[in-house]
This record gives sequence, structure tokens and C-alpha cells, in this order.
Amino acid sequence: MSSSPVAGPAPTGPSSGPATGSAGQPAPDRPRGPGRPGRRIRPVSSRARHRPRRGIARYWPQFLAVSPYYLIFSVFMLFPMLYTVYLAFQKWDGIGEMEFVGLQQFRFLWDDPVFWLSLRNTLVIWVLSTVPMLFLALVMAVLINSTRRFTAFYRVALFIPSITSLVAIAIFFGAIFSNNFGLINAILQSLNLSAVPWLSNEWTIKLVIAALMTWQWTGYNAIIYLAGLQAIPSELYEAAKMDGAGPVRIFFGITIPLLRPIILFTVVISTVTGLQSFTEPQVLFGSDASTNPNSGGPGQAGLTTLLYFYHQAFDNNDFGYAAAIVWAFFLLILLIVIINWRLVQRKERRP
Amino acid sequence: MDLSRRRFLQAAVLTAATAGLTAACGGSEPGGSKDSKTLKLWYWAGGMSDKVVADAKKQFSDTTLKTSVIGGDFKTKLLTGLKTAQTAPDITGIKGEDIASFLPNANRFLDLNELGMDKLAPEYLSWKLKQATTQDGKLIGFPIDIGPCAVYYREDLFAKAGLPTDPAKVSSELSTWDAFFEAGVELHKAVPKSFLVNNIGAVFSMAVGQGTKRFIDEDNTFIGDQDHIRAAWTTAVKPYTLGIDAKINDNTWNAAIGNGTVATGLGAAWYALDIQNAAPGTKGKWRVASLPSGPSNLGGSFLCLPSTCANPEKAFEIVSWMLNAENQARGFTDAALFPTTPAAYELPALTGGDAFFGGQKTIEIFGPAAEKIPAAYEAPADAAVSAAYFNELTAIEAKGKDPEDAWKDAVSQAKQIAKRQGVK
Repeated sequence: MSSSPVAGPAPTGPSSGPATGSAGQPAPDRPRGPGRPGRRIRPVSSRARHRPRRGIARYWPQFLAVSPYYLIFSVFMLFPMLYTVYLAFQKWDGIGEMEFVGLQQFRFLWDDPVFWLSLRNTLVIWVLSTVPMLFLALVMAVLINSTRRFTAFYRVALFIPSITSLVAIAIFFGAIFSNNFGLINAILQSLNLSAVPWLSNEWTIKLVIAALMTWQWTGYNAIIYLAGLQAIPSELYEAAKMDGAGPVRIFFGITIPLLRPIILFTVVISTVTGLQSFTEPQVLFGSDASTNPNSGGPGQAGLTTLLYFYHQAFDNNDFGYAAAIVWAFFLLILLIVIINWRLVQRKERRP
Repeated sequence: MDLSRRRFLQAAVLTAATAGLTAACGGSEPGGSKDSKTLKLWYWAGGMSDKVVADAKKQFSDTTLKTSVIGGDFKTKLLTGLKTAQTAPDITGIKGEDIASFLPNANRFLDLNELGMDKLAPEYLSWKLKQATTQDGKLIGFPIDIGPCAVYYREDLFAKAGLPTDPAKVSSELSTWDAFFEAGVELHKAVPKSFLVNNIGAVFSMAVGQGTKRFIDEDNTFIGDQDHIRAAWTTAVKPYTLGIDAKINDNTWNAAIGNGTVATGLGAAWYALDIQNAAPGTKGKWRVASLPSGPSNLGGSFLCLPSTCANPEKAFEIVSWMLNAENQARGFTDAALFPTTPAAYELPALTGGDAFFGGQKTIEIFGPAAEKIPAAYEAPADAAVSAAYFNELTAIEAKGKDPEDAWKDAVSQAKQIAKRQGVK
């Protein structure tokens, strides 16, 4: 019997060797200790005795400590989520009787051109925001990683947009990009260029929303990349320099491959959050108009799927249809996340 | 003092316990509030005259009137609040654009006619009462205000273009949409930076409101593809084809109204307040004239009593006091709520001249309009269906979409929305 402890925290196994000598050696075995004892011979009864102690009974303080999150999650997230599944098969106006309608809401969805328009809008805005956002974030992180002065200032400055109120940002962007009296058009006109109707053209509307999201989240992603960059050992860079690699080669040969798990994380997170754009168009395009609220602006070019969902649920009181919209949308997000995951994962295996 | 971890945790626990206790005490109060002495009133900022509400508390000192000014999306919060008797208000405001969607659930509200509204009804505008009446005659809302519509115009710009400037003359000479648009063309020629209307959705909404039929009829059949809507659409598209549409569909309206980009505004009585807030510098330059081709209404809210109301008789007494002619006149002064009882139109608060409109007595335009507004049936799904038309009108302005294609798309989308909402 070796001294390798099978039960993680407390090495209680009978030790044959001297305690002093084995101090360094068990470490490599430790990670695969509990799961696969492998060829090591241990009495079955001993494992059976250990297992229940590792469950809830043994770690109850830890479970208790994390339970508030799961309680809140199940009441305010899980239950409503499951309830929308039920709602998607009903017709319900919010206070009256529910009426079971089967798959009718999904049939309506399939025939609804506005739903498909909202999906297109969402995807276009997502691509327009996520691609430049992650690229800029990576560049910024590399730049900051190489600076030696004011690093704390840069990090704080990068993080501030992500904790700024989204509504305030949207109002600010609305004022900057305003068609007739905005700052950007004033600058364009002072340079004798013609003004751009930012908030009425169907493409510039999407650009403005994407610019807003890029502005808000680039710094956040840069901070995450920065953390990843600092975990890369400097010996690798030194070795590459010794071998005569230039900065570009180093970036693509060392930085990118070693950052891949971090990039995967940011891609997945930005996919999930970027596809859920809602507040931006809602604030930009007058949610308080009494005749036509939450329509997503001129030509409905800023109508994202979540805004359309909100409009159906809370303006039209068509909760069943709204539930069908979000579930169809959930499946789409899932699909895109899986595609992203596969793409980035495969690259990771290649070298 | 040193902030140790222990001390910090102690302080945190204490704070949490205090907060919890306070919340528990506060929470227990509404639980016991289903006594008939406490009534909860919900409205939104500007939905009632705060002074009248404060006086109501004094007037009915035997009852505790607890008021909440609800912010954000009022209808959504009301829908949630109505779920249980404990959370539901005893008196609540409902906005004019939402009242129709509450009619199918009229059983959630008390019939005001049974509480004595049938005797008061002749004093109030009948077309407004109709908006809150179910097809079987149940009245669920006491009208707070209405939105009789008019043309707000810049007298100075009209003068520059050689158009009539006197309100009476403008009303009589520009009495049809065509005459109004013609004047707009002349105005745009004389003052090139000025347009007649800010967007064509506003024209459409006025034109639809001038008729006695809307998008869905009493038999719950979709009629949004018929001549009356088509005519309103044609009227709305005209300013666009004539080049007198400013195409403003964003928050730049504020600036446009101040610098003369738009020479007129089509709006309800409360629109006066919007103009004053957006462009205080244009004081004295605005006048009000009758809406071309007849009066129309936009907005105007109600007070309703949910069926869980703790003391219906008392609640109705308070509501009818807050909304009597005299208090409605105060509501007009305080919150620009245009009265729903013609008796108030004779009171000094309304008959005085308005300095913002060069001393014009605007009641001479709004009063007669209010009484002549056509009573149209507004179906629960009306607002949802109408959205399709407004979206397509903005698409014409934003993308230059062909008006004929836009009409077809609007009708087909409206039909789909109608189908989803259970309209035949």
C-alpha cells in the first residue's frame, strides 16, 4: 500500500512509508484520487463508508452557504422559466381565464413576418457588436498588459462603462446620434459633410445600437483577457524572443493559443448577453409613445426579439404568444452557443 | 476605530435584522387593510391633480386614503396587483389607451352604475362613458379626463407665409385636410425649413379618431381593411407625398418644436403642456385652431374600482367628489387634465386666456370639440391591431417604402395580430 490518500482532505489511509518522505509525492496522484482508484487495491467497505460522508451530511455548512442563490434562482428564475413553457400552450391576457390552444401560438409564430424580422435584427446587431467588441478588447488587453504605469487607472477606466446605467447610456447615445440636433451630425456638418439620419435609417439604427453595446462591454472583456494574459508564463515569451519571433508572431503563436479557453468563455458570454439586447432599443425609440409603444423605431429596424416579446406580453397582453416567442428564441441562442463552442473547441485541439 | 471582521459581521446582522423587522411590520399593515376604513388609491404621476387628492384625504377624514403614485409601466403593475385581494388597490387609474383591453375582464371591476353613476351620467360626456362600458351595459370607469384634439400652429410662421392667423379664421378656412395640406405647401415654400406636420402617424391617428368605426367592430370582426381606414391612410400619406412632412420619429421632436422645424402640432388638449415644456422660448407665438374635418380624441383616463374594493360606496363617493366639475377644473389648472364634464367648461379655470397662446381662450376651440367627438366602438384588441398601421407609416418615412406596398403589409399584419387576439 502506498501512502497516496484516496479521500482528499484527510489522509487517513494506513501509511507504510515514512511521513516525511512522501510529502511531495502524492501530489500528482491527487487529482484523480477519488474518482478512479484504478489498480490500487482497497477494501470495498472502506469506500462505501467514505462516500456518504462526502455528501450533504458532511458538507452541510457549505451547502447552506450557497443555498440562498439557489433558492432565489428557483423562485425567480427557474419557476418562471418552467411556467413560460406552460404558458406557451395557452392563450392568456394576464388576468382572465387561460385557454389551452395546443401548438397554435407556434403556428402563429411561424407565419409572423415581424417575428422573423426581429430575429434578423437581433442577429445583425449581435454580429455588429460582438465581433468588434471582442477584437478591440483583445487589443486593449495586450496594450495594457505591456504598460507599466497607471495600470490601475486603465483597469478602472475600462471597467466603468459596464457598471454604468444602461438607460443613461442609451439616452446619451440617443442625444449624440440624434438626426437633426445630434453632436455627431453637428460635427459632420461643420466639416461640410452631409448629416446622416442615424436614428431613422434601418442600417444606421442597428449600427448605433451595436456601437452602444460595444462601448459598454469592450472594457469588461478586456479585463477578462488581461487576467488571462497575466497567467501566461513570461518564460514562453522570452523563449520566443530568443528564437527570433516578432511581436505579431508572438501574438498569434503564443498569446492567442494560450488564451483560447478565455476567448471561448467571452464568446459564449457575449453570445448569450448580446442576443438579449432589449433596453437599448427600448430606451432609444420612445417606449412611452401612447399610440405605438415599443415598436423598435422607424421601420422596426431596432426591434429585437426580446423587445418584440415584451411588446406582445406587456403592451398587447398576449402572454401565451410572448411565451412562445421566448422559447423559440431560447432554442436559437442554444444553437448558436453550441456552434460557437464547437468552433472554438476544435481549434483548441488542433495543435 | 478598527473595523474587524467580527464587528463588521455583527453590524451587518443587526442591520439586516432591523430591516427585516421593519419590513415585517410594514408588510403586516396592508394584510390587515381590508377593513372598510382604509382605501388604497393608485395612479401615475400627472394622472390626477395631486392637490385634489390631498384635499380628498381631508374631506373624507373618516377614511384613510392611502395613495401610491406608481411609476414605470402602470398597466403591467396593475395586472400584477389585481392578482390577489391583498395587493389590489381599492381605487385605481386606468389609462385611456388601456381601458378597452380591460373590458373583457369587466368582472374584475365593480359596475359603477350600480353605485349611482347612472344618476350622474348625464353630466358627463356620453362618448367617453361608452369607452368604459361593456357591451352588456356595465360601466367600469369614471372618466378623469379627455383629449379633445386641435391644431396647434405657429402664428408667426403662418403670417410669414401669408396664411390666415386668427384662430377663428384658421378654423374656418382650413376646415378640411386638403385645405390644411395646401396651406402647408405654401408655408413650406415661404419658410423652407418649416414643415407642416412632425410625422404622418399623427395624422393617421387623428383621421381614424374622426370616424365612428375603428379597426374592429362590435361583432368582433376585423374591419381594418375597409374604406374608412383606407381613407384615413390616404389622408395620412398626403403630407408625405407633398413634401410637408418633417418625418420626426425620435426624441428630436423637442428641438424641432422649439426652432420652427414643425409649424403645427396635431394633438390633444394636454399637448399644450408638451409644447410649453419643450419650447418655453416660443411663448406667445402659438395658437390653437379646430382640427380639419372634425373633432377627434386622443387619450384620457379613468378611475376604476376593482371588485375587491374594501368599501365600494365610500370609494365611489370619493371618486365622484374628486371628479366633480369644480375639482376637474382644478385638475385642468394643476395637471392639464381636460374635464369630462361640460359643466366645468364654464368655470374661470378654463375660460381664462392662456398667455402661452397669446391670451387666446383655448376653451372656445376645445369645449365645442369635446362635445362633438364621435362615439366609436373600441375593441379590446384595437390598440394591438393599430400598431401595424403605425409601423408601416413610419417605414414609409424611414425607408421610403412605397405607400401602396406599405398599406398591403399593414393590412396583412393587422389581420395576423387580430387573429392572434381572437378577432374573427
